[in-house]
Amino acid sequence: MLRKYGLLAIALGIVALYLFPLYWMYVTALKSGTEIFANPPTLWPHDPQIRIVEVWNRLRMDVYLRNSFLIAGGVTVIVAALGTGCAYVLARIRNRWMDAVLFAVLMMQVLPSSLMITPIFVAFNQMGLLDTPRLAVVLAQAAKVLPLYIVLVRASFLQVPRELEEAALVDGNSRIGAFISIIVPLARNGIMVSSVLIFLQSFGEYVYSRSLISERALQPATVGLQSFMGPNSSDWAGVMTYSAIYITPILIVFVLLQRKIVSGLTSGALK
Amino acid sequence: MTCQISLDRINKYYGAYHALRDVSLQIDQGQFVALVGPSGCGKSTLLRTIAGLEGITDGTITIAGEDVTHLAPRARDLAMVFQSYALYPHMTVRRNLTYSMRLKRRTRAEIDHAVTEITRITGLEGLLERYPRELSGGQRQRVAMGRAIIRDPKAFLFDEPLSNLDAALRVHMRAEIRKLHNRLGATSVYVTHDQIEAMTMADHVVVLRAGRVEQQGAPLDLYDRPVNRFVAGFIGSPAMNFIPATVTPDGGHVSLELPGQPVLRFGGRRPAGEAVMVGLRPEHLQTGPSPDAANRLTLPVAMIERTGAQSYVVCDTVPEVMVSAPVRVEDTDEIVLGIDPAQLHLFAPDEAGLRLDI
Repeated sequence: MLRKYGLLAIALGIVALYLFPLYWMYVTALKSGTEIFANPPTLWPHDPQIRIVEVWNRLRMDVYLRNSFLIAGGVTVIVAALGTGCAYVLARIRNRWMDAVLFAVLMMQVLPSSLMITPIFVAFNQMGLLDTPRLAVVLAQAAKVLPLYIVLVRASFLQVPRELEEAALVDGNSRIGAFISIIVPLARNGIMVSSVLIFLQSFGEYVYSRSLISERALQPATVGLQSFMGPNSSDWAGVMTYSAIYITPILIVFVLLQRKIVSGLTSGALK
Repeated sequence: MTCQISLDRINKYYGAYHALRDVSLQIDQGQFVALVGPSGCGKSTLLRTIAGLEGITDGTITIAGEDVTHLAPRARDLAMVFQSYALYPHMTVRRNLTYSMRLKRRTRAEIDHAVTEITRITGLEGLLERYPRELSGGQRQRVAMGRAIIRDPKAFLFDEPLSNLDAALRVHMRAEIRKLHNRLGATSVYVTHDQIEAMTMADHVVVLRAGRVEQQGAPLDLYDRPVNRFVAGFIGSPAMNFIPATVTPDGGHVSLELPGQPVLRFGGRRPAGEAVMVGLRPEHLQTGPSPDAANRLTLPVAMIERTGAQSYVVCDTVPEVMVSAPVRVEDTDEIVLGIDPAQLHLFAPDEAGLRLDI
C-alpha cells in the first residue's frame, strides 16, 4: 500500500516537474507587468489579465500562424505522398537489401537540423530556392521528417495481413488497386497518426525557418516569437500570451491524438 | 471431360531451395482435387502458383486451354478461399461479397441479383450489413465461400479453409463444401494437411512430399495400392503398421522380425531371403476367429485406447503394432490377429520404400 502510494507520489512529482514550464507560461501570460517580477514569485496571478486579442494584433500573429500552417501543411502533404508508398514497399519486400535501405533511412533521422542547415543553405542558394523561402523550408523539413514517417507507417503496414492483399489480387484487382482499396484503409489509423505527428513537428520547426527565411512576412510563428525576445524586451506577459496562443491548439490536438493512438492499438483485431 | 487446369513440369526455387520438383497435374472440368501432404511439402506453394500469387521458375500452367504461366492473378479468373478467410475487415459482408463484381463495374441490378442468390446458397441472410469482426468462425467461412462463388470462376482454390474451425464445425463445413461442389459442379483444388479431409471430399487425391508428387489417384486407389511407404503411412488413420521381415525360402511367406511369431502367407511370390517391410493397416488386423487359420499372429497387449466409436489395441512389440478392435474389447494380455493375405502390403526396406509387387 505504502509502496503503491509512494510510486504514485514520485510519478506525480516528475509529471509536475515536466509540466511546470507549461504552467508557468500560462500563469505568466495572465500576470501584470509588476507581478511578473515580484519576489518571491506568485504561483497564481492576483489580478488575471487576458491579452489575447491585443497580442494577436500587435505581434501580427495572423501572418506568422498562416506561414506556420503553410509550412507544416506543405511538409505533411509531401511526406504523406512520398512516404506512404515507400513505407509499404519496405514492409512488404523483405531481404538483406531492404534491411540496408531501412538502416540508411534510419541513419538520415540521426542527422540534426543544425548540422544540415549549412550545406542545405549553400545548395538552396545555388539553386535559387531561397527566392521562395517557404518552399525551401518545406523541402528541407520534409527531407528531415520523412524517415520518421516511413518508420512509423511501415509498422502499421506490417500489421495488415498479406493474405488480404492476395485475396484482392485474386478477386481481380491490380497491385496498385489492392494497395489503395485494401491496404491503405486498413493502415489508415497509422497513416493519420503519423501525419498529425509530422504536422505538429513541422509546426514547431525553428532551425530551417530561422536560417532560410529572412523576410519577416514569410516567417512562421516560431521565428516570429524569437524576434520579439531581444535583450531589451521586457514584455514577458506578451511573449507568454503569444506562446499560449501558439501552443494551446497543439496541446488539444495532441490530447485527441493520444486517444486515437490507444484506440488504434486495441481495435487492431483484423482476423 | 475436358481438362480445366493443367500443370506441366512445374519447378520452383526459393533461392537455392527447391520447393516444387517437376510437378505435373491434370485437373478435369468439375473435378474436386485435394493436395495433401505434411507441412512444408509444397502443397500451399503449388496452389499459390496456380493462383498466380507465386511465380514459377520453370514449367507451364494452362487454365481452360490458355497458357497463364506469366499472367497476373486477376487475369486467371480463379477464386481462392484462404486459411484465415482474408475477409476485408473494413467492408461489410455485402461489400466483401461484391468486391470482385464492383471491380468489374457490373450494374447495380446484376450485383443485387447475385447477392440474393449467394446469400440463399450460403445461408447468410440477415448478416449482409455486418462486419467480419461481428461474425462467428463458421459465418466468416461462409462469407469467404460466398465471395468465391459469386465470381463464377473457372476454378476454386481452397487453402486449408477448415483448419481454423473447431472439430465439430469442421466436419459440418466439410460436408457443406462437398455438397456445394456437387451442386455447382465447379472445378476445385483443395489444399489440406488432413488426409481424412482429402479422402472424404476429393475425387482425386495428390500426395506431395518435399515438393514432389508421390502418388495421385482416386482416394481408394491410394488407400488400396500405395506406391511407397510414405503414401501408405500418410493415407489412413491410424497409420499403417510397418514391420521388418524376410521372405522365407519357399518365396511365398514372410518371417516377421517379431520374436516367436509364425510366418505369414502373402499370396504371391518374392525372391527367397529378400529383406522387406511388411505393411498392415490397423483395420485389417482382425481380432477373433480368422478365415485363414494359418495366417495368425499372437501379440502381447500394452494398452487399449477406447475412443467410444472405436477401440484400438496397442501391442507391446518393437516396432509397436496398432490394431483396430471392436468397441467393447475386453482387457486382455494377449490378442490373436487373423491376417488376410490380400491385405498385406510389401515395401522395400530402403529409404524410398517402394511398393513390391506380389
